[in-house]
Amino acid sequence: MSTVDTVERIGLDRRLWRGVIAVAAVLLIAYPLLSDDLFYQNMIILSLVLAVGAVGLNIIMGYAGYISLGQSAFIGLGAYTVGIATTRIGGDPFVWVPLAGLVAAAFAALLGVIAMRTRGFAFVIITIAALFILQIVAINWDSLTQGTSGITLPLPRWDISIQNWPFYYTLIALLGASLLLSWWIRRTKIGTGLLAIREDEDKAATIGIDTPVYKIIGFMASAVFLGMAGGVYGYYIAFIDPTAMFDIVISVQIILAVILGGRGTLWGPVLGAATIEPLNELANQQFGGGNSRLLIFGGLLTLTILLLPKGIIPSVRDLLERRTKRGRAALVGGRLGERRALNGRPATATGGTGRNLLEVKGLHKHFEGVRALDGCSFAVEEGTITGLIGPNGSGKTTAFNLIGGTMRADAGEVWFDGRRIDRLSPWRRAYAGLGRTFQITRVFTDMTVLENVVAPLRSFSWRQLRAGAVSGEEAARAEELLAFAGMAEYRDERAEALSFGQRKLVELAQVLMLDPKLILLDEPAGGINPTLIARIAEMIRELNAQGKTFLIVEHNMPLVLGLCEPVLVLASGECISTGTPDEIQRDQQVLDAYLGADFQLEEPVAAP
Amino acid sequence: MSTMLRLDGVVAGYGAGDVLQGVDLTVDGGSVTCIVGPNGAGKSTVLRAISGLLRPSNGAIVYQEQEIHRRAPDEILELGVTQVPQSDALFANLSVRENVLMGAYIARRDRKLVERRYAEVSELFPLVGERSDERAGNLSGGQRRSVEFARSLMLDPSLVMLDEPSVGLDPKALKVVAAAMKRMVEAGKTLLLVEQNVRFGLRMSTHGVVMESGRVLMHDRADAVLNNPEMTDLFFGGTPTKAPPPTAARA
Repeated sequence: MSTVDTVERIGLDRRLWRGVIAVAAVLLIAYPLLSDDLFYQNMIILSLVLAVGAVGLNIIMGYAGYISLGQSAFIGLGAYTVGIATTRIGGDPFVWVPLAGLVAAAFAALLGVIAMRTRGFAFVIITIAALFILQIVAINWDSLTQGTSGITLPLPRWDISIQNWPFYYTLIALLGASLLLSWWIRRTKIGTGLLAIREDEDKAATIGIDTPVYKIIGFMASAVFLGMAGGVYGYYIAFIDPTAMFDIVISVQIILAVILGGRGTLWGPVLGAATIEPLNELANQQFGGGNSRLLIFGGLLTLTILLLPKGIIPSVRDLLERRTKRGRAALVGGRLGERRALNGRPATATGGTGRNLLEVKGLHKHFEGVRALDGCSFAVEEGTITGLIGPNGSGKTTAFNLIGGTMRADAGEVWFDGRRIDRLSPWRRAYAGLGRTFQITRVFTDMTVLENVVAPLRSFSWRQLRAGAVSGEEAARAEELLAFAGMAEYRDERAEALSFGQRKLVELAQVLMLDPKLILLDEPAGGINPTLIARIAEMIRELNAQGKTFLIVEHNMPLVLGLCEPVLVLASGECISTGTPDEIQRDQQVLDAYLGADFQLEEPVAAP
Repeated sequence: MSTMLRLDGVVAGYGAGDVLQGVDLTVDGGSVTCIVGPNGAGKSTVLRAISGLLRPSNGAIVYQEQEIHRRAPDEILELGVTQVPQSDALFANLSVRENVLMGAYIARRDRKLVERRYAEVSELFPLVGERSDERAGNLSGGQRRSVEFARSLMLDPSLVMLDEPSVGLDPKALKVVAAAMKRMVEAGKTLLLVEQNVRFGLRMSTHGVVMESGRVLMHDRADAVLNNPEMTDLFFGGTPTKAPPPTAARA
C-alpha cells in the first residue's frame, strides 16, 4: 500500500503531501549552494547513502518480507569495483559507478539463487554469512584488493570551491532513481507478487506466482543502486578497506531506517535514514563513536519496536484513519451485495464427461510418525462436483496440499488433465488449470479487494512482470468476478477490513481469475452463516454448469449430500468408499468411520 | 433466573470503524444463550469485549452487579468469566494434563486448589483422566475441543463463553462436543456461545440472540428465534419448516 494512496484515501489533500516532498527536495538540492558548512554536507552525503540502501532494502524487506542483514556487502562491492577499476584501468572513478551497480546486482542474483530457497531466519543468516565471506575475501585476496592496507583513490581533481558537490548530486540522483524504481515496482505485477509473497508465500505459489523469480528480481533491485552509491561513497572517503566497507553496523542501520520510517511505504525508508544518520554523527561527535553507536542503535531499535512497531509513516496513517473512521460503522457488518451472473460460456447440462480430470494414485505422506496419507487413490471425473469427506485428521487437507503442490508426497502419483504433475511447482500446476482455496481464508489482507483478485497469474512471462498491477483485460475480468461474488462495492477496500464470510467470497473470485479447469475448495462452508453458504452453493452450481469441475472438502453434510455427486470418503489416509450421496449414507463403513451409526440428515442448509 | 450479565449500548471496534454499534444484551444465570448472525455482525467481538480483550469506547458491561468494561482480562477471568477461543488452541506438544493445568495459570500458586479443581474437571470429563499423559496433538477433533472445555473450567467460572464450538468438526465429533456442553450445563455453568451452525447452536440453547451490523435484532427463546420466518429468510437459509432434502426425496 503506497502512502500517497492512503493519505488521499483518508481525506488529506494529496497536494499537501506532494508539496511537503517538493519543499524537502528543493531544500536538499539547494543546500550546498546556500551553505558551505562541510560538516552538514558530510552528514547529508552519508544520509543519502543510507537512504539509497534503505529504499532498496525496502523492496525486498518491506514488499517481500525478506530481511537481509547483508546489505552493506553491496556498498563494499560497489566501492571495491570502483576502486579496483580506477587503480588498474584508470579513468575518472565516476565512470565506473554504473559498473559498481552491475556487479552488486549480479552478486545479488547469485546470492538470491542460493538464499531464496530458504525462508525466515535462514535467509537472514545466509545474508550475514555472505557479508563476512566478502570481507574475508577482501582481506585475503591481496593481489586484487591490497588486503587490510586497502585501496587509496586519487583525490578529486575539481576546484576546491566546488567542495563535495559532485558526490552530493550524484547521490541525490541515485536516491531519486531508487525511489522511482521502488514506486514503479509497487505498481507492476512484480510488486503485487512480492506483496503476496510477504503475506503468504505458499498461497502466492498456488495462484501462479513463480516465487523464486520474483524474489531474485526483488533482491537485485534492492542491490543495484546501493552498489552504485557504494562506489560513490568509496570515492568520497577516498580510502577503501575491508573493515569499513563490509561493516555490519551499516547493515543494521539500513534495516533500522526501514523499520523506523515504515516498512513497505515509499518514503518511510528515506525518513528513517534522515533520522538515523544525524544520530550516528551525534554518537561519533559527542560520545566517541564505537560502542556508544551500538548502544544508541540498539536502544533505538528496541524503542521503535516497542512504541512504533509499524514505523513512523504507517503509525501516523493509522492515527488519521482512526480519527476519520471513529463513529462510522465498520465494513464487516455490511449486508451481502447483489450478485450478477457471469458472462461466458452458456450453461450446458451438468454431469460428468466420463473422462478423469484428476487422478491420485497411491499417495503416501508421513509427518513425524503420523501417517496422514497411506496409499490414497481416487479420481475426479471432468464436469462433476465431487465431494471429499472424512473424519478430522483423515488426510483431506494433506491430499489437497499434495495435489496443489504446497507439499511433496513421500510416494505416489498425481495426474491432472492427462499429465503427471506431482513433480511440478505449485505455480506450474496453477498454469495447468488447477485452483484451490484454503480452509481458513488466506486473502492478502494488506492489498485491496481488487488487487487480491487480479493477483493470480495464468502463465509466466517476462513482459507480464512489467505490466501494471491492475490494468487491461485482467482488471475488467476481476471486476466481473467480483460482481459475480456480489463483492463489487468493496473493490477498493483493504481486505483486512472484511469479515470472514466476505473474505471467502473474495478468495473464490481470486481463484476464478486463474480460469481453472478444476477447483479444490477446502471447507467452503466452514465458519460462515447459512445464507452465505446457500450463496456459495449457488455459485458452485453456476460455475459447474459452465464446465468447471469441483473437488470439495466439507463437513456440512446437508451441503455435501445436496451438492456433490459422487462423494469420496477418506479415513485413516485411505479412500474407503466412493458413491452417490444415497449410497454413502447407507454404507456401513462410512457410518462407522464418519457419520456415526445414528446419522440422520437434517433439513438442507443450502437448498437451491 | 436472575440476570448474570448485562451489556448496555456497547460500542467497540478495532480502529477501522465501529464493529459494535450499541449492543444491548442480557444473559440469565443458568441459561445457555446462543448468538447467531451473518459474518461480520460482531458476534465474536461481543465475546472479546466481555472478556476484556477489547475495550468498548462507549456503553457498559455489568457482570454480577459489577462494571467490568474497564477491567483487565485477568481480573475478569478471576471474577469467573472464561472464554474458549474459536481456533484449536491446545498446545499440541504438551500432554492433556499439562494443557488442562494451563487453565489454572493465574491460580498456580495454590497447588492444593489446582489439584482439587483438576480432580473435579477430570470427573466431569473422564477423557481428561483417561488420557492425561497423551500428547494433545494425538487426540481427535471432538476430543481436543472437550479438553479445551475442561481447561476453561479450571478456575471454576460461572460464565463460560464458547466461540464457534462446532467449527471444522466432523459429524461424530459434533456429537462429542454437544455432550460436553450438556455436561457443563449440568455442572451449573452459564454458557454464552457464538455459532454459525445456527441449528446446532440454537438447539443446544435456551435463548437465542440474532445480531446484524453490530446491533441486536432479536432476543428471545431459542426455539422462537429458530422458527421466526423473518430471521430464517434473512440469515438461516432455507425455510423453517422441515422441507425434505433433495437427497431424501430420492432415497
